[in-house]
Amino acid sequence: MSNNIPQTESFNLPKNSAWLLWGCQLVNISSLAAELSTWMLAILALCLCWQALLLSRQKTSNVSPNVGSAIKLHTDAVRMSPFILMLLAISGCVAIAVSAQSFGVLIAMVHLLTFAYALKAFEIKKRKDFYQHSLLGVFLLACALIFKQDLGFSLFILLLLVINLTLIHQAFAKRNSLFNASKTVVILLLQSSLLAITLFVVFPRLSPFWQVPMANSAKTGLSDVVSPGDIANLALSSELAFRANFKGASIPAYSTLYWRAMTLENYDGRKWTRVNNNAQGQHNTKAKQQGFNPTTSGTAISYQVIAQPSFQPWLFALSVATTTDPKLVLKQDYTIQSTTIVNQLKHYQIKSYPDAPLALSLSQQSRQRNLAIKPGSNPKLEQLAVDLKAKHQSSLALSQAVLTTFREQKYYYTLQAPMLINNSLDQFYFDTKAGFCVHYASSFTYLMRAAGVPARVVTGYLGGEYNDESNDASSEDNSSQGGHLSIYQYDAHAWSEIWLEGIGWYRVDPTAAVDPERVSQGWSSALLEQQSELNSDFISLYRIKQLAWLNTLRLKLDAINYQWTRWVLGYSAKQQYDLLKRWFGQSMPWKTAAIIAMALMLAMAFFTLFYWLSGAKNSKHKVSPAQAVYNQCLTALAKKGFTKERHQTTQQFSLVINEQLPHLSADFTELTSVFECLHYQQYSEQEQLALMAQLAKKVRDVTKALNSVSTMANDTKNISSMINNKKYKNPQQ
Amino acid sequence: MQTAINNILEQIESVVLGKPHECRLALACLLAQGHLLIEDLPGMGKTTLAHALANTLGLSYQRTQFTSDLLPADIIGISIFNRETNSFELHKGPIFSQVVLADEINRASPKTQSALLEAMAEQQVSIDGETYPLPTPFFVIATQNPLFHAGTYPLPESQLDRFMMRISLGFPDVAAEKKILLSNSNSQASRTKTTPQAITVDELASIQAHIQQIQVADNVIDYIIALCQITRGQINSANQHEINCKPLSPRAGKALLAAAKAWAFINNRDFVLPDDVQAVFTAVCQHRIELTAQNYNDSQSPLCAQIIQCVDVLTPLQS
Repeated sequence: MSNNIPQTESFNLPKNSAWLLWGCQLVNISSLAAELSTWMLAILALCLCWQALLLSRQKTSNVSPNVGSAIKLHTDAVRMSPFILMLLAISGCVAIAVSAQSFGVLIAMVHLLTFAYALKAFEIKKRKDFYQHSLLGVFLLACALIFKQDLGFSLFILLLLVINLTLIHQAFAKRNSLFNASKTVVILLLQSSLLAITLFVVFPRLSPFWQVPMANSAKTGLSDVVSPGDIANLALSSELAFRANFKGASIPAYSTLYWRAMTLENYDGRKWTRVNNNAQGQHNTKAKQQGFNPTTSGTAISYQVIAQPSFQPWLFALSVATTTDPKLVLKQDYTIQSTTIVNQLKHYQIKSYPDAPLALSLSQQSRQRNLAIKPGSNPKLEQLAVDLKAKHQSSLALSQAVLTTFREQKYYYTLQAPMLINNSLDQFYFDTKAGFCVHYASSFTYLMRAAGVPARVVTGYLGGEYNDESNDASSEDNSSQGGHLSIYQYDAHAWSEIWLEGIGWYRVDPTAAVDPERVSQGWSSALLEQQSELNSDFISLYRIKQLAWLNTLRLKLDAINYQWTRWVLGYSAKQQYDLLKRWFGQSMPWKTAAIIAMALMLAMAFFTLFYWLSGAKNSKHKVSPAQAVYNQCLTALAKKGFTKERHQTTQQFSLVINEQLPHLSADFTELTSVFECLHYQQYSEQEQLALMAQLAKKVRDVTKALNSVSTMANDTKNISSMINNKKYKNPQQ
Repeated sequence: MQTAINNILEQIESVVLGKPHECRLALACLLAQGHLLIEDLPGMGKTTLAHALANTLGLSYQRTQFTSDLLPADIIGISIFNRETNSFELHKGPIFSQVVLADEINRASPKTQSALLEAMAEQQVSIDGETYPLPTPFFVIATQNPLFHAGTYPLPESQLDRFMMRISLGFPDVAAEKKILLSNSNSQASRTKTTPQAITVDELASIQAHIQQIQVADNVIDYIIALCQITRGQINSANQHEINCKPLSPRAGKALLAAAKAWAFINNRDFVLPDDVQAVFTAVCQHRIELTAQNYNDSQSPLCAQIIQCVDVLTPLQS
């Protein structure tokens, strides 16, 4: 208990503030809940329950019932034994240390922070502790933004920030109601947001001084190891993968939007894997250093891609893609990779040549790799390949024959493909005949390889949802005209490429043969039904797509989110430069922009310093609350022309008012005496509170009376003269 | 207590006609245990007021007329050799009484005036190296003629500083003067002497103790400090020309506070308002700050009013 703590140091929150503190912890922790492990959540829940229990047990001591609502109930804080707390802290830390290996540095640190935050709440004994705890809460919110930054979540964090600041505000202004406190906080936030926005726009965007260690376990999207049945999981995720903006250029037809992510050339009989980077790198280090320079021809489409963090290096582009971005690497297989892992939003500019051929010549090594099959793993398919090869002369005809088989026989496109024993393609091709894109692509590729045609599996995304709602959002910026494409994880796709002499790598999508709707529209009704059966997210998606207005709304939201991503999250040094250039003219060099920004910042710093200094000076002679209220009244009177001279005492001024505004005299005399009580007499705190309430009421009364009279007539003399005139007139009548 | 105060005031005002404010100031000065200096032209009722005060408060008093040949020994007393007992015997001077009326104090030489210094400050006198305590309560009520009168010595500053207040009565208004003229001039002396005693010495002591307990808020203290600082030039007298005056000492500030408390008490309040400070400010400070005789003529000297106008009552130290 707090008995052993000196009275002056003990810091007790009013009961409603204590509960607000509890609520703050709950929401702050919940903002990070997705990143915390289950056992940590359990511990945190335990801590919160414990606190709730302590809070509900606290004795309330009513300070003074007669003063009424001015004084809130104060509580004698019930505290936990420090020994148990220490035990809990040590065991928790040990647990975090043990599991740190699997968490990675960042997540482990987040665990530690959250844990410390929850425990600190048990020992808020002094004002200092309270500051520490509430600031830690705000820090937690900032941490939550490491993991997620979309608009909705940011707004959610903003809301939590308001709650946290309300708690701090409430701790100082105890008499304020919760609503008023939050109102003040919102007003303050709005005021400060102006400064924040200005700084956001003009502050030089420096590269980070240190790197936040990123969690690398949370990979999303495509994997570089694909076995039949893999992409079906992705097809159940409605998460955003990336967005593409064609900048006013016409968007290619849906069925040609094959976003290549990676090519899988190695097949071990079960799964497809990428060619080992190092092996390839050693082979032509020089080429890698210089970067692969694909030959291009035909018309070009340029577009911008904003990729969501996937914690993997590969990026998405239409073939044949070229880029000038130094942070991107063009690979030999016409895919694009980032030099670093994509752990935050990645903007990049691509120029694609859809008509250009891919790799007209095939190296011996590459040919071998793309013909490799594991003999004996799928004997039936190998046999079929031999038969087909005998029937068809050209490779193209051979591939068409296979596609015809897919189209004409009873093959199903389904997410719920039957399990294949050892991933046997034989079993799929001849028995189950039901599968997802990977099944078709793998078996097709295998068949082609077996028939002696170099073939490989390509994974990536197909299509994308066109959204032109973002069109009008910034119409003056022509770069955003034409809307954007949003590509979701359920657009993940796998297809095949075969190498033909004189044509190069030629894209063949066996899925198109099975389910043409999937390729031409992105979603077939049969697939959507399956998706909605398997994942509740898709039920709504399915329904929404049927309701036109809901779909518009969804697209609108997506457009807003897109703009948020583009302008706020993706506000890079380059964009800043462009923006400033547009504002301050074309010729402005970067240095001028920096100088202007620095000048602005210096001005702000000086202003702040000045304000702070003058504030410090004033704080020596702080205006008491009573005087502040009285001053309000004086200001109101001064507006009507009744100014208190500086040397006039309150009583003298009261006499002046009595004389000049007789209708106010009673109220103002009382107001003056109440103010004198507060200003010149020593009362106990409770009496002061009561007097303050009385004073505030009187000031309201006086101000009200003042305003009502002044609207009737500006000059009291006019009234009196009118009355006098009447008096004289009446006898005559 | 309040009725006692009202009685006293009534009695004094019945003797000193038409000067209620000055009577109250004089009473406040004595209640605040300060010495009083009454300055005016001859025949304005200075001595009458002094007599009335002493009588009403029921104090023993002795009147000493100060002249230019008065010696310190004439006031405080002297040791004289007694041949019979073969020893020195102290003959106490008029100062050994509760109220000392020092009439026309500025007609005595500075040396004699200074004889009062120790008595007024420490309430004791030293004669031939021996210290004798003076009776309690001990008040000096002095009267003086304006400085420009013939045969006057200016009081040294140290002496002036020991008077809590200096008041001047000024000419009476028509009604009061009519009364004075109509009253039997011969009987005036007897009327003064017969002013009845309104309170006992014990009652006076308890009133004085009560006045010391009167609440003074920080804001009032700040106000007093600000007033003092203006005279010292520590605060710029905002937007006004520099006030040309002597600085107020902390003792002056203490006197101001004590007088304000007494004033608040006379006005039946148990806390001090800036109004009280303003009411006594001229009486307490005028004689301490004026440089020369420049302002002697006008009793409502603008110097103190100027100082008051420089200070914001609500936020005194910010101006």
